[in-house]
Amino acid sequence: MIKIDALAKSFAISRGQKLSDSEKQDVRYSKEAFHSVRNVSFDCGSGEVLGLLGPNGAGKTTTLRILSTALQPDSGSVLIEGVDVLKHPVQARKKIGFLSSSTGLYGRLTAYENIAYFGRLHGMSEAALKQRIDELFTLLNMHDFANRKADAMSTGMKQKTAIARAVVHSPKVVILDEPTTGLDIMTTQTVLDFIRSLKQQGTPVIFSTHHLDEVASLCDRVVVIDKGISAFSDNFDAFKALSADGDLRQSFMTVINATANNREHN
Amino acid sequence: MWQVYFKELTELVRDKKTMFFVILLPILVFPVLFGIMGLVVANVAKQAEAEEHRYVIINADKAPELAEALFYHKNFKKVESDLTDPDALKQAIRDDQFDLAILIDGDFSADAGNLSQSQWTVIYNMSSQLDMIDKYFNELLRDYSKKLQLAKLESLGVSAEKVDALLQPVKLEKVNTAESREDLGEKIGGLIAYILIPLCLAGCSYPAIDIGAGEKERGTLETLLICPISRTSIVLGKFLTVLTTGLATALITVTSFGGWGYVIGSLMGVDIVAKTMSTLGMADLLLILMMLIPLSAIFASLLLSLSIYARSFKEAQNYIGPLSMIVFMPLIVALMPGVELTWSMAMLPVANVALAIKELIKGTMEPGMLMAIFGSTVVIAAALLAFCVSWFQKEKVLFR
Repeated sequence: MIKIDALAKSFAISRGQKLSDSEKQDVRYSKEAFHSVRNVSFDCGSGEVLGLLGPNGAGKTTTLRILSTALQPDSGSVLIEGVDVLKHPVQARKKIGFLSSSTGLYGRLTAYENIAYFGRLHGMSEAALKQRIDELFTLLNMHDFANRKADAMSTGMKQKTAIARAVVHSPKVVILDEPTTGLDIMTTQTVLDFIRSLKQQGTPVIFSTHHLDEVASLCDRVVVIDKGISAFSDNFDAFKALSADGDLRQSFMTVINATANNREHN
Repeated sequence: MWQVYFKELTELVRDKKTMFFVILLPILVFPVLFGIMGLVVANVAKQAEAEEHRYVIINADKAPELAEALFYHKNFKKVESDLTDPDALKQAIRDDQFDLAILIDGDFSADAGNLSQSQWTVIYNMSSQLDMIDKYFNELLRDYSKKLQLAKLESLGVSAEKVDALLQPVKLEKVNTAESREDLGEKIGGLIAYILIPLCLAGCSYPAIDIGAGEKERGTLETLLICPISRTSIVLGKFLTVLTTGLATALITVTSFGGWGYVIGSLMGVDIVAKTMSTLGMADLLLILMMLIPLSAIFASLLLSLSIYARSFKEAQNYIGPLSMIVFMPLIVALMPGVELTWSMAMLPVANVALAIKELIKGTMEPGMLMAIFGSTVVIAAALLAFCVSWFQKEKVLFR
């Protein structure tokens, strides 16, 4: 379904930019560039939910941005349903739905208009668009504020609108970048329910998170990224088995410590 | 591309701030301000004209005719004073006892036989922009002198018919080849360019910030970038939006100024606007618009490039401030007195368009030069737009 192989991406460092002490210790900094993602590989099958874990600055967002075609990697490949995302980005974008916690809406457009704008950009016909939005409004219980401007919405309404916007074109894969960060409990629940409904429909979901309880309740597969490298990629049970008592926090630390030890040995 | 364009326009139209800058400001606020200013100036002038000046005249009996004319003039009021010394008179004027002192030479004689020049003195406060005392007194003195002149010439045996030949041996008749339009264009053409060009810039600025940096700040840019349309289409859609608002601002302003000017002009009996309107043909107006389109395109590309580079609204505003200054420089050069549209001036961006607008209003534009200016502006606009498009493809610009 989705296959990611040996992704790498570096960002040029502007001349004169001073590196902090912690940055100097990071193996990914060289004189000219910051190698944000060095070697990330994983795959995700139909109907699977993949949780992307990793410390802050590990390269999760960069990886997801490459997946969503917003950034171009230096090397590596991304295949979605057999389509090479890097060679045919416009074609691939039709298959991807993307959402992050910081995704905004156009404040002066209504919920309907926000969603319709992106539907049109995805080349949907007006009739199909209308039907699809109606479907989504029912699914997410949004009919009450369909014509309210985004500026006048509560956070929960905004997030529902953003979700509907991300899947208006019925994507084949949904990518979520920390979708629950900074949201209240109710809104978080909306997002988690949405991921569950996608799973039931057989749509694969890739999402990054810091919340291990979300991983426990939703994920079939777990990938841990540390210092730009996918240090762990297997199913959820294998991840859980990394710690003696099945504590996910412990499992996570095991992976991180293992990569740190490897570096020291090298 | 058109999807982006229409969506951006919808959003801008709903934004109260944009509407204020683009429509309300030029239609209502500016004309009202200018109108009030005009009324104040007109009032001050009227008041100055109607003011009564108190005067003292020394040795009035030597020139009774002048004294009488002064006495009956509606802007002069005679006051009595015992002072005769110039310094004392000066002090009295400073102390506001009266406004004007006229010292007639004590040896003066209005006799026709007297053929020596006489020196008189007037004392008053001359530090006024509108020196009405000078104007009124000189009128009276001119009439009085003329009478004396005639009397003296006659006493010398010069008959009335010969007086003209003697006083003004050559009479000149001036024929102006400049049409009244050319004259008017020279006076106000530059001013119109000076209003139009900054307005185009101002009209572009706010929307450019809103749909460039604003989109980054709101977090909608990333979503837009992963839609299955090319980044070129996104830029062009945004570019057209900015161009539209820039031109719309200029057009709305000119129309409203024209309209208000006509209303105020006809109310106050000043027909300069009506005159300008009637001399400018439709073709000239279209040509002016044609010159403004590529110029606005230059502004739109520059502003959009800056705005998309900025991380936030605030940062974008910081970049755009200095840009306005840079645009004003050539504009000022173009409006300096004596600067003419030459081939070398035609190569200076912004200034050339300002001068071309002036020439178009004067009706003296050379078609060849107009095409050259239009062409060079289009080339610059295209180059900047190409830069803006390639700028928009760069990751380091979009994800700073």
